[in-house]
Amino acid sequence: MNEVLKIGSSPSVKPPVDQVKKPPLIDFQNVSKQYPRKVALKDVDLKISEGEFVCLVGQSGAGKTTIIKLLTKLEKPSRGKIYVANRSLSDLRSGEVPLYRRKIGVVFQDFKLLPQKTVWENIAFALEVCAFSDKEINRRTEKVLELVNLIKRKDNYPNELSGGERQRCAIARALVHSPKILIADEPTGNLDPINAWEIIDLLYRINQRGTTVILATHNKQIVDRIQKRVILMKAGQIVSDQAGGKYVI
Amino acid sequence: MTLTLTMISVSLLMTFILRDTAESIRSKIDITIYFRNDAIKDEQIQQLAEKIKQVNGVIAVDFIDKSEALAIFKRLPINDNIKSPIDEKNNPLPRSVLVDTQNPDDIQAVVNNIDSIDSNDYICSECVSYDQNKEKVDKVISATQFVQLIGIGLSVFFGVIAIFNVYNIIKITITARSDEIEIMRVVGASNMFVRGPFIVEGILYGLIGTIFTTSFLLLMAKLSFGGGSTTNSSGFSISNLLGIDIYTYLVTHIWQLVAVQFLAGSVLGVVVSLISIRKFLKS
Repeated sequence: MNEVLKIGSSPSVKPPVDQVKKPPLIDFQNVSKQYPRKVALKDVDLKISEGEFVCLVGQSGAGKTTIIKLLTKLEKPSRGKIYVANRSLSDLRSGEVPLYRRKIGVVFQDFKLLPQKTVWENIAFALEVCAFSDKEINRRTEKVLELVNLIKRKDNYPNELSGGERQRCAIARALVHSPKILIADEPTGNLDPINAWEIIDLLYRINQRGTTVILATHNKQIVDRIQKRVILMKAGQIVSDQAGGKYVI
Repeated sequence: MTLTLTMISVSLLMTFILRDTAESIRSKIDITIYFRNDAIKDEQIQQLAEKIKQVNGVIAVDFIDKSEALAIFKRLPINDNIKSPIDEKNNPLPRSVLVDTQNPDDIQAVVNNIDSIDSNDYICSECVSYDQNKEKVDKVISATQFVQLIGIGLSVFFGVIAIFNVYNIIKITITARSDEIEIMRVVGASNMFVRGPFIVEGILYGLIGTIFTTSFLLLMAKLSFGGGSTTNSSGFSISNLLGIDIYTYLVTHIWQLVAVQFLAGSVLGVVVSLISIRKFLKS
C-alpha cells in the first residue's frame, strides 16, 4: 500500500504550515475539467502541503466537488496533471487506484452510511472491503469509534442517530484506514450549528494528529472562525488563496 | 432466463434425438447376403466373410449358418402355424453373411467383393436398394440440420430477450445498491471485490433458471410422452410416432442437459452482470 503513496510518516502538528518551504503533498498543475456542457475547472494550479488544514470555499458549482472527485480519482482531468506525494494520478494503474483511495478518507454532506448496517458495521465495512483480518478490523474500529466518541452508539443503526452522530460515524469510516488526507465535502451542510461545530472540532483534532484536511464548505461562519488557509473558487477557477484567511464573498 | 434455457434445451434435445435417429437408421443399413445354393460349402462362405472383413469401413461380419437362421426364425413374432413346418430336419432357410458397415457409402466396396460368387447362388439384400436408403438417411440428416438451425435461431432470439431481461433486473439491483458501490469504491475496494456479489448473483440466476427449466421440461415430457400414458383410444401417441420415448430419453440425458443449462445460464447471468456494473466502475 505504501508503494502507491510514499508519504512521509512524521506528522506536522503545527498547522498552518508554510506551504512554500515544504514539498507539496497535493499538486494540481494547470488542471482543467471539461464536461460536455460545462467547464467545471479551468487552469487550476494548487499546492497543498502535508499536515495542512485547507478550506475550499465557493458557491455551488464553483468547482469544489470537481476538485474532490479528481483527487479521489472518481474523475479524470481533461487537461493538466495532478500529483499526490510526487506521484501523478494519471500514471496510477487501475489496480493501484483502490490502494490509493485507501490513503484518502472522504466525508460527504449526506453521510453515505449504509442504512442496513450498524455504526460498527459501517466502519468495519470499510476495512472488510480491503480484506483486513477480523482482529485488525475490531482493533481499528474500536479505536476510531473512541476518537469520534461513538463507542456507546456502536450497535445503533444510522436512522437511530442524530445528524452530528451520523457525520461523526462517516468521519470514523473515513479515518479507519488511517488516511494521509481527509477530504470533507460540505460535512456540516445538513447539521445544526452545535453539531456543525462538533464536526469542525473533530476535523481540527484529526488535523492536529498530522492528517491533511481539506474542508469544502460554504459556511462563512466556520471558515472565518477557524482561520485556516482559505481557497476561494469561482466558476472553476481559484480567485484567492490566503493563509489564515476569511471567506470573502 | 427460463424461456431461453427451455429453448436451448428443447433444440438440443431435438437435435440429439434426430441425430440418434439418423445414426440408428444409418447403422441399420447393412448388407445380408443369403446363399440360396446349399452346394456352396460353409468354408467357402467363411472365406468370403474373412475377405469382406478386410474391406475398409466394415465394422462386423457375421456368418449365420442354417441352425442359427432357424433359431432367429423361431424367435420371430409370427404365427406358429407358419413356424411349425420348419425344423432341424426340414430347414429351407438359407445361410447368410451379415455385414455391418460404418457408413452406407462403404456398402459398394463390400458388394464388389461378392463378385467371386456366381450371382445365381446368392441374394444380396440392400445391395440394390442402397441408393433409396441413402436418400432416406440424407432426408433425416437434413431434417436434423434444419431442426438444429431452427433451434439455434430460437435460442439466439430468446437469448437476446433474456439478456435484456437479466440486464434490466441486474441494473435495477445495481442502481438500488449504487450507494453501497460508491462507498465501496471510495473506501478503496478493488473492482473485483465490487463485482463479486453481482457475479454470484448472475450465477444464481443461471442456477434458478436451470432448476425451473429442468422441472418444466421433465413435467412437460412426463405429461406429453411419459410411459405411453397419453396414448388415446385410437392407440396414438407422439412417442410411438417418433419411435422414441422422449421422457426416458430426457431422464437418461438429464445431467448433460442440466450442465448445458447451468453453463449457458451462468455465463449469460455473469456476462450481463459485468456489463451492467461496468459503468459504475469507470474511474
